[in-house]
Amino acid sequence: MVIKRLRNIASSIKRLFKKKKDIKIGLYGPVNSGKTTLANRICMDWLGEEMGNASVVPHETREIQIKEKVSIEDNGKNLTFNLVDTPGIATKIDFENFVKVGLKKKEAKQRAKEATKGVIESIKWLDDMDMVLVVLDSTKDPINQVNITILGNLDARNIPLVLVGNKTDLKIADISRIRNAFSKYKLVGISAKTGENINELYQTILREL
Amino acid sequence: MLRIKFVPYERIKEERFKKILKDLAENTIVLVDAKLNAKEEAALIAETMRSVSDKFSGIELSSIEIKSKKDNGHYGRFKNALIERIVGKKRGMTVLGPAKIVQKIKRNPEELLLYM
Repeated sequence: MVIKRLRNIASSIKRLFKKKKDIKIGLYGPVNSGKTTLANRICMDWLGEEMGNASVVPHETREIQIKEKVSIEDNGKNLTFNLVDTPGIATKIDFENFVKVGLKKKEAKQRAKEATKGVIESIKWLDDMDMVLVVLDSTKDPINQVNITILGNLDARNIPLVLVGNKTDLKIADISRIRNAFSKYKLVGISAKTGENINELYQTILREL
Repeated sequence: MLRIKFVPYERIKEERFKKILKDLAENTIVLVDAKLNAKEEAALIAETMRSVSDKFSGIELSSIEIKSKKDNGHYGRFKNALIERIVGKKRGMTVLGPAKIVQKIKRNPEELLLYM
């Protein structure tokens, strides 16, 4: 416990010094939870341009994407950071799933190969983050190994995080499942697609970092 | 026929998941006698991604921590942390299955449900 406290203090000091240079806020989560849609929403709101392509086809984002100098503000408080959109983390990638959504076999295999590299990159980048928005699909059961592993790794590295329960515009969305599963974390329910409750997310980022 | 293999946690630390992934690629379910920590889980996922091929699409995994009611107090937590530090592993179990066989593992606090 003493060691953990010392580690917390050490990483807080490290973050304090890093703050003056460049703050990185990462979007992490399982595949198709809406990370890129949220990245696009944030970039449109504050920079007036999108970040990347969002798609219903899994593993659309297969490389780390960074948008530099995103400045958000609320009630006189402001924060400038680099927004890092990461490929969704998965424990399995089957090229046949891409064939099922219409890709040719060769393209599907290539996409699967790129997707595996993307997952590895996402994991590697964890150490570089100053804060992470863990984007979860609020229409799905949040208790799965990918979510548990992401949260556990952020805890182990003492990286501040906010849970983002996305897709609240959908009728079957249920934020309470995320709240019950991961009650110790700050949670904001939003729809990255419609912008519902997005201001609360900005306020939370300003408050938590 | 379904093959289930028991692998001691110590062997995972030595072999860095390579042997386990070979077993998983050969359609074997692997049981480990400890709960993997978060960094080990992430390392396993990364190693799995390096092993994905046309024939091996990846894994399903889940860990369960063994706790009794006595473990919830300050003394219990301290005692467990001390034991884990001495023994070098977390009390619990990890189940790993090839994704082609195990579609999903659902985790309840005290049990794991494998959907095949």
